[in-house]
Amino acid sequence: MSDMALKQEDVREEPPANLWRDAWYRLKQNRMALTSLVIILALAFIAVFGPWLTPYDFLSQDLIARNQPPAWAHPFGTDELGRDVLSRVIYGTRTAFIVAISVTAVATLIGIVLGAFAGYFGGLLDRFVMWFTDMTMSVPQLLLVVVINASLKPPLARWMEAQYLETLNPIYRNSIIIDFVLVFGSMALITWPPYARLVRAQVLSVRNRPYVTAARALGLSTPVIIARYIVPNALGPLIVAVSAGLGTAMVLESAFSFLGIGVNPPMPSWGNMIADGLRVWRNYPHLLLAPAMMLAVATVAFSFLGDGLNDALNPRGQK
Amino acid sequence: MNAMTKTEPLLQIEGLTKHFHVRLGAFGEREAVVHALDDISFDIMPGETLSVVGESGCGKSTAGFTILQLHRPTAGRIRYQGRDLAGLDEKALRPYRRELQIIFQDPYSTLNPRMTIGEAIAEPILFHKLAPKGEVKSRVERLLADVGLPARFAMRYPHELSGGQRQRVAIARALACEPKFIVCDEAISALDVSIQAQIINLLLELQRKYGLTYLFIAHDLAVVRHISTRVAVMYLGRVAELAPRARLFGNPLHPYTKALLSAVPEADPAYERKRQRQILQGDVPSPMAPPAGCRFHTRCPLAIERCRVEAPVWRETSPGHHVACHLAEGGGE
Repeated sequence: MSDMALKQEDVREEPPANLWRDAWYRLKQNRMALTSLVIILALAFIAVFGPWLTPYDFLSQDLIARNQPPAWAHPFGTDELGRDVLSRVIYGTRTAFIVAISVTAVATLIGIVLGAFAGYFGGLLDRFVMWFTDMTMSVPQLLLVVVINASLKPPLARWMEAQYLETLNPIYRNSIIIDFVLVFGSMALITWPPYARLVRAQVLSVRNRPYVTAARALGLSTPVIIARYIVPNALGPLIVAVSAGLGTAMVLESAFSFLGIGVNPPMPSWGNMIADGLRVWRNYPHLLLAPAMMLAVATVAFSFLGDGLNDALNPRGQK
Repeated sequence: MNAMTKTEPLLQIEGLTKHFHVRLGAFGEREAVVHALDDISFDIMPGETLSVVGESGCGKSTAGFTILQLHRPTAGRIRYQGRDLAGLDEKALRPYRRELQIIFQDPYSTLNPRMTIGEAIAEPILFHKLAPKGEVKSRVERLLADVGLPARFAMRYPHELSGGQRQRVAIARALACEPKFIVCDEAISALDVSIQAQIINLLLELQRKYGLTYLFIAHDLAVVRHISTRVAVMYLGRVAELAPRARLFGNPLHPYTKALLSAVPEADPAYERKRQRQILQGDVPSPMAPPAGCRFHTRCPLAIERCRVEAPVWRETSPGHHVACHLAEGGGE
């Protein structure tokens, strides 16, 4: 009996192929995706170790050396207050990454939970969740963020002030926290619907696969089936969406900061630096170019990485 | 029959019915009921292989799925060791799910592509706590050996295996649950003929070794003849005839069974030329609008007026031989 089975088997003893490892192998073949990955990792490194990399303090002003063009002392020049643009761009990278990662994480989490439940259980729950998702998508993003910022900022600031007076903990004095919380919160609230829809669609398609029926026949419980059979198989497109979503979140953060409803000065963000640079770009183009280039490079890198992941995780030509 | 030697059935299926509601039309404005399974009743004895045969769409797979509660029955009872499974919720069903296993037709799609073979087989052992954690690995290796696969396959992923190997893995995974009863839902139909024989012999060997009971759903009558204890013939959601293997193949009573058996090709060309084949006319009616009376009357060569109006009762013409036909010998009532 076992001889028969062995005969059909190709005798090869290489390490077992893993689907994720195969995907990584395919990703490595894709030069654009690999370059993008390297760029993103470099930007992430800059974001994490920013404080040790900046040649100057991003806030210190040198009013004698205002609007300097790029030179050895200031590789990206200085802005109208004599602050080092390179240092500010590095801090802007930090802002971009913090916002993009937090927003995408929260939005993805909301999307996974709502989408998985809607897709798995279907029926009325599904209809309610999808109705809520459509409703959220129909609200103009900018308007919602403006409303959230305008309505929640003053009470939040008052609460922080009260906390500070009570505890004297300086963390409550930090107005940047309010900015970040509001920016994260409102952006997460407008960006989750595509994730929820994607997860729901994936779960719907995976839920009726024979191996899920087989898992039910084995007597496994619903949470185990969702966690071990449905989610891992539904994850591929979500990874692609998250990668592209990180880039989108960066653009969104910059757009809000550009309009003055995101991260506020003096905290640097690519968006508010672009806004500052735009007013004087005819005379001092480097003030616009530095943050705009960073934003462009990061967005394009995320977008190409997303494409590469898409090809690596859904190999159509694979048997 | 002697009450002392008579064994209790493992499963008693009484009046099992499954209707699917479907929506038709561009906007789902019309609703229809698919009569996938209508009032079927039979017992499954411990240790036997009960084969269910019939053409595609006759409800034989639905019968298997409904018995295992993978489809919830519309009506009827499934008694397993005296306990009715039909009304139980998922949680109460879990211990029974473990004991009642299934092997599916398509081994390509019933294994989770993200799990190694070892993980797939270990899953039910861990979930149902059938072995202490430290022994799971050796248990998996023993199960792989049981189905004729080397232990190193535990590290492989399903896409690296051939169809026959995957079906062996599916069998090992079902065995991991330590089942009493296994539904083989067209378990060999998707495989090459040479592999089919291996898998059938494996199933028989495991049945002897572990005292398993099989519900063998198939359309290949030669295979059914080889492995069955009893055979049930289904037509359009109903059981037409149920008899011990030798009786069913030797003395079929239902005209549908006769037609089905005469459709099996003979290996001997001389005999094949001589014999009279009974070829059925027409198509199977839609299960959304099954004919009144006997479901087979639209195609039955013997149909009389009574068949058009009155559904034949399920009766036992001789011990162990059940048939649903007005004209089967043993006469009317």
